[in-house]
Parts: sequence; structure tokens; C-alpha cells
Amino acid sequence: MEKKYKIPIGPVHVGLKEPITAWLDLEGEKIVGATVRPGAIHRGIEYMARDRNPIQVIYLSERICGICSFSHIMAFVRAVEDAATIPVPPRAQYIRTLVLELERLHSHMLWAGVACYTIGFDSAFHLGMVLREKVMDVLEALSGNRVNYGVGTVGGVRWDITPAVAKSVKDMLRYYRREFSPFYDVVTGDPIALARMRNVGVLTYEEAVRHTAVGPTARASGVRCDLRKTSPYEAYGDFSVEAIVPQDFYGKAYGDVFDRFLVRVHEVYQSLEIIDHVMEGLPEGEILWEKNLNKVLAYTKKAEGTGIASIEAPRGDDTHVVHLAAGDENVTWWKVRAPTYANAVSWPLMFRNNELADAPLIINSIDPCISCMERMLITDASGEKSVVTRTELLDKCREKTRRLMGK
Amino acid sequence: MTFLNISQDIPPVPVPAGEITARIAEVFGEGSVGRIADRKAGRDDRGWFTDLWLSVEKERFLEMIDLLAEFDFPHFHVISGNDDGEAVTLHYHLSLFRLAGRGERVGVTVSVPVYKTDLVMPSLFSRIPGVEYSEREIREMLGIDFDGLPNKALIFLPEDWDETIKPWRRDETGPGADDVRHLS
Repeated sequence: MEKKYKIPIGPVHVGLKEPITAWLDLEGEKIVGATVRPGAIHRGIEYMARDRNPIQVIYLSERICGICSFSHIMAFVRAVEDAATIPVPPRAQYIRTLVLELERLHSHMLWAGVACYTIGFDSAFHLGMVLREKVMDVLEALSGNRVNYGVGTVGGVRWDITPAVAKSVKDMLRYYRREFSPFYDVVTGDPIALARMRNVGVLTYEEAVRHTAVGPTARASGVRCDLRKTSPYEAYGDFSVEAIVPQDFYGKAYGDVFDRFLVRVHEVYQSLEIIDHVMEGLPEGEILWEKNLNKVLAYTKKAEGTGIASIEAPRGDDTHVVHLAAGDENVTWWKVRAPTYANAVSWPLMFRNNELADAPLIINSIDPCISCMERMLITDASGEKSVVTRTELLDKCREKTRRLMGK
Repeated sequence: MTFLNISQDIPPVPVPAGEITARIAEVFGEGSVGRIADRKAGRDDRGWFTDLWLSVEKERFLEMIDLLAEFDFPHFHVISGNDDGEAVTLHYHLSLFRLAGRGERVGVTVSVPVYKTDLVMPSLFSRIPGVEYSEREIREMLGIDFDGLPNKALIFLPEDWDETIKPWRRDETGPGADDVRHLS
């Protein structure tokens, strides 16, 4: 029998974008056991919310994640709307749905790119990053921001869809219908990509159910779960969304990294269709239940109760629970269950009998929350590089945003 | 037993939320069924799915989970909780029929008061292994032990954390003024 070793991957590792530690038990190159230890970036956000009112917590919630920031505020404001019984106008429901799907597009494209990077397929990684820019531009045109959009609020949304935004959405749909499939074909048709991802990090159907896997991680194992289908919220009440599972496309779900890739790719096409439905059916009318924030806060201060909301974020079901006590303007308590929290429980199962070299890919395959963006170095037309100062960068950002917003 | 029987070939058979509440009321009494929230969505404000709020005493908690499992394998979301004075109240957030048809999911929250005289809960780990992170989090944040949970190591708190401090508690075991540093 070979000698056993215990090796840590993380907390800081070149293959990981965020700190987490996986202690791997190895026999030679084979992983025979794993223990995962999160906690390196626990920020006590739920505790911090106790000193803040529901409007202030929106901005705290938005900073849980740099990619699915809107998903978190949607789950949070929906939980507050449930606790305080606050209705949302139909137009706002449609705008919320639009931003949720835009966020899914950019999250899935970023993930697909990073997955390619992790297996050493750098040209596909760059292709993925180029594609993602288009949806980031649409988000910037709508909200003025690329990461934390500040679109959602209690009882509606803060930004409306202007003709300029509608046009950028239309352009984006046309662009992706033309440009996305070459990226997909390059990766799925590559024998090395297939060899690196097929039968790696397998999670069976039964394990996915018992270990409460969610989102694309569960769907890749053949679990037909999608909250947009089984519990329609916002505009998903007006059109049906089917869960994307590999067996519907290829006859079988392997539950491996390759299937997680395929599910996310097909969800990109699905999101484009949903955005079509949203833009076609966008109702006229108000985008806010109440414009005056002081009135909203006076109303939530009188509310007593616990509210819950689960939404289908890009990585899976995101659940927030909020308690409001009458007479207290602050949130009494708040619980956030991000999708990675649910999916991370399955990591030790996915590691079994895999090679050490595949460990970062397996960790990345559930798309753990990653937020990373560098925009400090630019190359001018003559090809010379120059570093931009913070002030110059801010001016350039504002200039681009104004251009995208048609101002 | 439902907990052992999970198969891709056996699709869940959804039942209306009313049938679940009637069964719960029959076994655990009328008082165990709390709020029933019908969720609406879309342009016409059409009703789609239901969220139920149930409550049970600690001694009969596993019995209630097993009864819910007669309908479908309960998908576990998370445990939330609060220090309510004499007891720490835990809320188990679950879903039934999450793999069923359009609008057929039933959200179920089971609330259990855990009195401070005996801060031990039966673990759900043997039934639903996906509860591991949440039970470990409640253990370190609210100081509740879970009987049957195999791994009781810290999960989110640092290795050198003083385990006598329970971050989410509001009594003497919670963080004191000296333990909190305001950044702004």
C-alpha cells in the first residue's frame, strides 16, 4: 500500500479565486478523502445587519458577493416584502427578472472562462472574458455600475428601462446569438477539454439530493430543480422555465465537471430566451410601491414578522430569512444561505478517487463565489502600456457610463 | 422509508399545501400550523406556490420531519435562529416537491424553541447529510449542540476563537462591548 499524505489546497492557492482550504488525503496522486474548512473570509455581515434598517441592509447584502450581488439583494428585499407585506408593481417585477437573467449570463460566462483557465485552456478563457463584456455593458447602461448595480429596493426597483437601455439589450441578444456558440463549440469539441472534465468530480443523483446540492451543480447530476419553475416569482409567473438537465440533451447525466459546463452553457441560451420574453412583455406603469424612503422605513418599522425568500441565483437557490419587530427600525435578525453554502457540502464526495491535479478544477466546478476584476492597466493605440491613476480611471468610468446610458 | 428511497425514476407526487397542514394538525394539533402564505407573481398577480410555517416542541421534532418526509424527501435550505430570552428559537427552512411541476413547491419552515436549560437538539445529519454546515454554524454561533452530528469542528469562526463567546447570542454568552470593533 502506498504511503498516505495529507495536503492542503488553500486557503490561498493559484487555482482558487477566493480563500478556502481543502485538506486532501492522498495515496500517491489519488485523493481518498477530503475535509473542507471555510471561514477565511467570514465577515459577520448578518451580525452587522442588527444595527441597520432594511434599506441600509440592501447595500450590505449587495456586498456579500461581487458577481451575484443582485441575486442577494433580491432574496433580501423579497424577504422584507414578505415580512412587511409590501406589493411590487408588475413593471418592477419584470425589471428585476431582467437583471437576474443578465446577472446569470455574466456569471455563467465568467465561470465557463475560469473553468477553461483552470484546465490550461487559456485561449478559451480569453474568449469567455471577451463575451462577458457585452452583458457588463448592458448592466452599466441600466445602472451606471458593473458590479454592485444598486437596482433593487424594497417595493420595486430604482432604475427604469429607457429606450437606450432597451436598445443595448436588443444589441446584446443579437451579439450573443451570433458569438456565443463558437465559444461553446471550441470547448465542447476539444478532446483535451473533454478528457480533463469528463468523469472528473462526479456527484451522483442521490448524493446531490441528500447533500442538498442546488443550481447547476445539482442539475448536472440530473436533479430537475429550478425555483423559477417550481415556485415562480416576479415575472417568472408569466412564462414557464424548464430546469436544464443533461439527460434531456444527451440522454444521460454523468454528474461530472463536463456536465456542469454543459448545463451552464445551455442556461445561457435559456437566459437569452427569458430576456426576450421580459422585453416583449414589459408592462407600463410605476416601478416603485413608494418613492419616499422615509415612508417605506416608517412602514417597515411598524411591521412584525419573519419573511423568507428563495430565488434561483446563477449558482443555485439563494435563501434569505429576515425578522422585523414592530417598533424597531432595524432588522432584528437576518440569515443568508448563499448557494455555495449548500454546494460546498458535496465537495468531499466530488473529490473521491480523483487525481490531485484535478482538485482546483473540482473546487471551481461548483462555481464558488468569485469576485475579481482588474482595470488598472490599459494599452493605447500605439501599443505602449501606461498605468492609469485612480482619478483618471474614475473619469474614464464616468465618461463610458454616460456614453452607455445615452447621455 | 422515504429517507432511503431517492431515485431519478420516481418523480415526486405533489399534494396541495392544505393536505399537508391537515395531516400536521391531525398529528401535532391545530396550534402547530402557523402562517400559510400563498405566493403570487407576475402581471396578473396569480397565486403559484405556498410557504407554510409550522412549530413543534423539541421532543417531537424528528417525528415532524419524518411525517413531512412521507410526502417528499425534504430539501433542506438552512437553519436560522434567534436568542429569544429563555429559549433560542431555531427555524428549519425546508422545501417539499422542489422537483415537481410548475408552481408546485411547498416551502416549509419548522420552528423549534430550544430552552437554555438544555441546549441540545437532535441532529438531522443521518436523515439529510446536507445539514452539516448549518448545524455546525448554529453550534458555534448560537451555542446549541447537535446530538448525532459527527463533525463538530468550527466552520466559519477562526481556529483561535474563544469558544465561550457565541456571536449571535444576546445574553451574557454573546459578544460584549469590548469584543466588537466598529470600523466606521
